[in-house]
Amino acid sequence: MTDVVGLLQAAAQAAADTAGGYGHFPGIGARGAVWIAAEVHLMFAAFVLGVPMFAVICELIGIVGKDEKYDKLSKEFTRLLVFAYSATALWGGLLLFFLTTLYPRFWTHMATIFSRSMWVYAGLFFIESFTLYLYYYGWDRWKVGRAKWGHWGLGLLLNVWGTIVMFIANSWLTYMMSPPSGVTAETLPAEVGLWNAIANATWMPINIHRLIGNAVFGGAICGAYAAFRFLAAKTPEERAHYDWMGYVGNFIAISTFIVLPFAGYWLGREIYEYNQQMGITMMGGFMSWLWIVQAVLIGVLFLAANYYLWTGMGRIPGAERFAPYTKWMLLVLVICWIVWATPHTIIATREELAAMGGSHHPFLNVLGVMSAKNTAVNLMILTTFLSFLIYRRANRRPTVAWARTATIIQTAMFAIAAGVVLFYGVYGYFVEAIVRIGFSVYQVLAVLACIIGVSIIDVFLVRGAESRGEIRWGMMPARSQYALFILAVTFTWLMGLMGFARSGIRQHWHVYEVMRDTSADAATPALGEAANMISLCVLIFLGLVAFIFWLGGLAERAGHKAPVALAVPPQPAAGD
Amino acid sequence: MWRTNLKVLAVALIVIGFYTMVAHVIPQLQSEVPEALALTGDVTPEALAAAGERIYSGAGGCVACHGLGTRAPNLVTDQGGEGTIGARCGSRRPGMDCKSYLYESMTNPGAFVVPGFENIMPDMRRQLADDQIWATIAYLQSLGGEVTVTASDYGTSTEAPTGAAPAAAGPALTATTEPLALLREKGCVGCHAIDGAGPPIGPSFDGMGRRLPADQIRRAILLPNADTAKGYEQFAGTMPQTFGQMLSAAQLEAIVQFLAGRR
Ligand code: HEC
Ligand code: HEC
Repeated sequence: MTDVVGLLQAAAQAAADTAGGYGHFPGIGARGAVWIAAEVHLMFAAFVLGVPMFAVICELIGIVGKDEKYDKLSKEFTRLLVFAYSATALWGGLLLFFLTTLYPRFWTHMATIFSRSMWVYAGLFFIESFTLYLYYYGWDRWKVGRAKWGHWGLGLLLNVWGTIVMFIANSWLTYMMSPPSGVTAETLPAEVGLWNAIANATWMPINIHRLIGNAVFGGAICGAYAAFRFLAAKTPEERAHYDWMGYVGNFIAISTFIVLPFAGYWLGREIYEYNQQMGITMMGGFMSWLWIVQAVLIGVLFLAANYYLWTGMGRIPGAERFAPYTKWMLLVLVICWIVWATPHTIIATREELAAMGGSHHPFLNVLGVMSAKNTAVNLMILTTFLSFLIYRRANRRPTVAWARTATIIQTAMFAIAAGVVLFYGVYGYFVEAIVRIGFSVYQVLAVLACIIGVSIIDVFLVRGAESRGEIRWGMMPARSQYALFILAVTFTWLMGLMGFARSGIRQHWHVYEVMRDTSADAATPALGEAANMISLCVLIFLGLVAFIFWLGGLAERAGHKAPVALAVPPQPAAGD
Repeated sequence: MWRTNLKVLAVALIVIGFYTMVAHVIPQLQSEVPEALALTGDVTPEALAAAGERIYSGAGGCVACHGLGTRAPNLVTDQGGEGTIGARCGSRRPGMDCKSYLYESMTNPGAFVVPGFENIMPDMRRQLADDQIWATIAYLQSLGGEVTVTASDYGTSTEAPTGAAPAAAGPALTATTEPLALLREKGCVGCHAIDGAGPPIGPSFDGMGRRLPADQIRRAILLPNADTAKGYEQFAGTMPQTFGQMLSAAQLEAIVQFLAGRR
């Protein structure tokens, strides 16, 4: 059968094609090197983009509400930024060097198309760092009156620059995923229009998804920082402050996290629209198991966040009356989690079929279908929202005349939303898949409507409410803080996992259906191997973050001794 | 403080370790790269079809849609009473022969959309090189029809396809009569378990000799659809029917004797 396939010939040709296209990296290989540099860079970038968002919001609350506490919190957030910023730049530089030396052919392609946007990117990065330094080091100088508003404006600008920088970077990687349909393997990079390449199909969905994701991530890491400082606190005041900071961080992370799935749906739909095969590969193909792992992580997130809220009720006078409910909420969460993490996928390959032992999971068939999963997720969101609500209500006794009616209406809203979710969840079994997909929209809308409606009522309800006693910030058991660590670790890992999903669906393409990956690492690894890489990235990132936290404490201690050193940048001849 | 720090570290490591473990216990699927072909003029139709089969069920990504679902018409098995794809391709469009129809299906899928399905199939030229497409067509023809793809279709150029990947991925074809090597080379172990390990798509080879005499095993290999093994109805029709052409008589006998001897 020697006449059949000229294997040797092909191998020789492949080697010739590949020559000059790829560099070699010792140990972990070229792909490993780029993977780590890109992922750690991205984690830091998410942090430095997320934190300014709520730093300015906190500052604004401080200005408008004349509350020093918020101003101090905002400044503390920003202090973490200053260090994290250089880490972002360093890892970005590393990534750039790795790409140019290890993937020169690919890099040339990208640089030919995107050169101008790359220059703008670098310029903006400069401007952004200067804005950050002004914002942070100018904090105590522009403290009152109009100057304070000017200072706040700097914070706003910081966000604007950051967002543009991210949008530019996103255009590069979304181009790799979904190059415009006119671009094919034969197109010369020089012929690809810059704007055409930037405004590709997945650009905006990724932009929005990441914007929200960054806020989530920033909140989670700040929560972990607060937990770290809480555990190390020496005085009750310190403990109270960091307890509160941890609460705010957690609140930001979870409340923004709840909207993230909607951005995810949009991204998913755009991917399907762009290329069905890519969408199917992602949800039902070799990646389908990834969503089971994701479900496990998100279950941990919900449990940890709720646990934190429940233990937090111990510090609120009046919260005892809600304590009996928590075990039921826990039960709902756990059941939903199990349903969600139940495997079920449309089988894509023979290997997968074999791996699962049949076309459907033998036992968990009924729980594993989409209907059940959507129902579970929506119920988890509702439960978490309920936790927040109880938390908010705990130490207040509404004084408005219609308080009873309002509470009944709120309860009804919860019941209706849960009813709608369950109804469509069950009904979903009796209809075609195509109809069922539409149901998830109703479920989501019911949950959203409930969240919005209940919140609005609540705002008016607690106006002028009597207090059952102040929240005793700082009176928190140490074990609750570990929930915050678990949240931060899980969010970080989740980001790594989703990064793998986004990047992996291109499979053996650098630029999907335009530029092939002909390196030795072209095959997309299985989840186990990917998980090893993700864990490695998470460890590197968290190790560096711990170092930054420690530095933050160090700088503060130095600041206590000589406040001026930190408050004002070194200005040689300023005074004399 | 050090105790607290260590506790925090331990929590982080446990959480990370747990996720890593979860990712390791699920099925490990790697997405492969389509194997590069470098076809020379005198390829036999059977060899072409065999190469196409690997593309079809492997890195070509066809089974993502043409599989067990209702997303796309069945190709390997019957669709709507019209037979397998090789049987129905010639009568799909008036005046178009099987080969042209299949080529059109893969390169301009929107030109004719099979009733009841949506126009979601991508132009496969963006994914596959020309000879890979022709090999796949040969495979589809072999499913109930006659392979008419010839060297003039894919050209005899010795140039590697645009996306030449390291060819080491594909199994080399040999004249060996060593049964274990053959089972691996012909892809049997891709469906049948052996020595207690492997996929459960077809009946396990272990103890096969206890269930079937040699002549029935021979028949099952040559005419897989003649009768379906008990408990495997769900996968009936998955076993390729091309082994008769792919194996020399000596090779076939080697396999049959080997399997019959596994008691
Ligand atoms: C994104 C999903 C998708 C992928 C991937 C896909 N197909 Fe299809 N295919 C379809 C759909 C849907 C139809 C029916 C509609 C049509 O005719 O376009 C179809 C139709 C066909 C037909 C015509 C069937 C008939 O009954 O006439 C052939 C042949 C075919 N595909 C071959 C392939 C091959 C070979 C591959 C892999 C190289 C492949 N397809 C990959 C979705 C897909
Ligand atoms: C694509 C999957 C696939 C491949 C490849 C495959 N088989 Fe099978 N085989 C099956 C399935 C499914 C059945 C059971 C259904 C049937 O009998 O048609 C089966 C049945 C058999 C049987 C009959 C078993 C019984 O208990 O009745 C024998 C013998 C056999 N295969 C041998 C082979 C050999 C030898 C090869 C390689 C040359 C091979 N198979 C390759 C899927 C496959």
